[in-house]
Amino acid sequence: MHRPDHPHLSRRRFVGGATGLLAGAGLGSVARGAFAQPSATMEQPFVNGRRNLVAFPEKRPLIVLTTRPPQLETPFEVFNEGLITPNDAFFVRYHNAGIPTSIDADKHVIRIGGNAAGKPFELSLADLRTQFKPVEIVAVNQCSGNSRGFFNPRVTGGQLANGAMGNARWLGVPLKDVLARAEPANSARQVSFNGLDIALFGGGDFVKALDIGHAMDGEVMLAYQMNGADIPMLNGYPVKLIVPGYYGTYWVKHLSEIEVIDREFDGFWMKPAYRIPDNDCACVEPGTAPPATRPIGRFNVRSFITSVSDGARLMAGRETAVRGIAFDGGQGIREVAYSTDGGQSWRGARLGADAGRYSFREFSFGFTPEQGAYDLRVRAWNRSGQSQPMEALWQPAGYMRNVVESVKVTAV
Amino acid sequence: MAFKTVLRALALAIATVCTAPAFAGSKNIELPPDSVQLKPSSLPGYAKAQAACVACHSAEYMLYQPPTAPRPYWDAMVKRMKGVFKAPIDDADMPLIVDYLARTYGSEQPK
Repeated sequence: MHRPDHPHLSRRRFVGGATGLLAGAGLGSVARGAFAQPSATMEQPFVNGRRNLVAFPEKRPLIVLTTRPPQLETPFEVFNEGLITPNDAFFVRYHNAGIPTSIDADKHVIRIGGNAAGKPFELSLADLRTQFKPVEIVAVNQCSGNSRGFFNPRVTGGQLANGAMGNARWLGVPLKDVLARAEPANSARQVSFNGLDIALFGGGDFVKALDIGHAMDGEVMLAYQMNGADIPMLNGYPVKLIVPGYYGTYWVKHLSEIEVIDREFDGFWMKPAYRIPDNDCACVEPGTAPPATRPIGRFNVRSFITSVSDGARLMAGRETAVRGIAFDGGQGIREVAYSTDGGQSWRGARLGADAGRYSFREFSFGFTPEQGAYDLRVRAWNRSGQSQPMEALWQPAGYMRNVVESVKVTAV
Repeated sequence: MAFKTVLRALALAIATVCTAPAFAGSKNIELPPDSVQLKPSSLPGYAKAQAACVACHSAEYMLYQPPTAPRPYWDAMVKRMKGVFKAPIDDADMPLIVDYLARTYGSEQPK
């Protein structure tokens, strides 16, 4: 019934036809005769970093990377407000322009099929919510290209600072339980995921795939709530794939089609897009191309000071409480160290409450400076001893930046 | 203190889950208009880009690239739009569009 080679064809039935969406997008373009006045502008800390701040539907004013399709970055100060990123501040990343603007969740159906599914079936959202045991997880979602604008030498692509990440409490159903009902065959190798967003001219539909073992690990999840509310439209309403510890490219929005297949899925967004150098550091000499690549996978370790920004002035002789966040790809954060002298000496920071190994983890330390200039750095380790490089690694696509960040402050 | 803020946020998130209302049936949104346009130019590729590029996506895709982005990048992107995404671009227009992009947004723009 389903042709995995042509997922967008079978999906037309759900969305009322690709042409319908195309017409809708066309109408939108006509209405765009007058250009919007952004509510404010800001400057990202890299060359050509002037950005508009615009409030999209269900969102507070966010940093606009692109308007159409929407790509929105969270202003970094939000990460100091709490460990959970509010839904209206959570970053947005689409790939294709045909995005849904109207969804009736009561009619939304997820088709589960593929040539290695013994029993293809259709799952309504009501079924998903009532026929399975729900689970909850607090997990970070982070764009593969988060922080790309800081690459040196610069790389092309979405020029993001550090705000294409967020931490949310996801409520939904383990993918494993849904897939079990489809009775995957022994020949199953991968599971592919498609959502309602489409490419306007039929090429390059956004479809992602996970190995069958990963898909069945019990942690990958079909979420229908985010932080206790419906998922915002721009984050994937009414149901979104949650892949804890993995880059956001796998977190398919408006999930509508799941295919269990007997081969490795090789659509554009798995190959050649979203590939990293196939070596331990996922890095190459700046300006060179990797000899071999693999699909991007788990997050590496990152940590950020959130309470003090670069260039801040602190009061000499007074203790400043410094706090921040750390996370990794799912081992959990074991330790965060801080330096006030640019990395020459280090001390341990206090860790905050543990909300789970996929969550942001708070750290904090007190700092009482004398008058002068300071270079604050933080460095995290996860439970398997992985950490962050002191010097930034480089790769041509600008993914996975995780260098030890520097926050320069002056005490007066 | 920050730690309490964290706990409050988590407690609020848990409380909200427990008291969540019945599932809302539908969502409709209206997206805002573009806030940037392609940079006007006397190059012939400008009009072609107006027709071929921003019909599908907004102009930030070009505007925000690093000014070091070399001509091969713009060439690869235009070819990708046609080859992968099936954008209806005439073959004859492609070099003109690449020329406009490289000289307006890339490494060949006037300093």
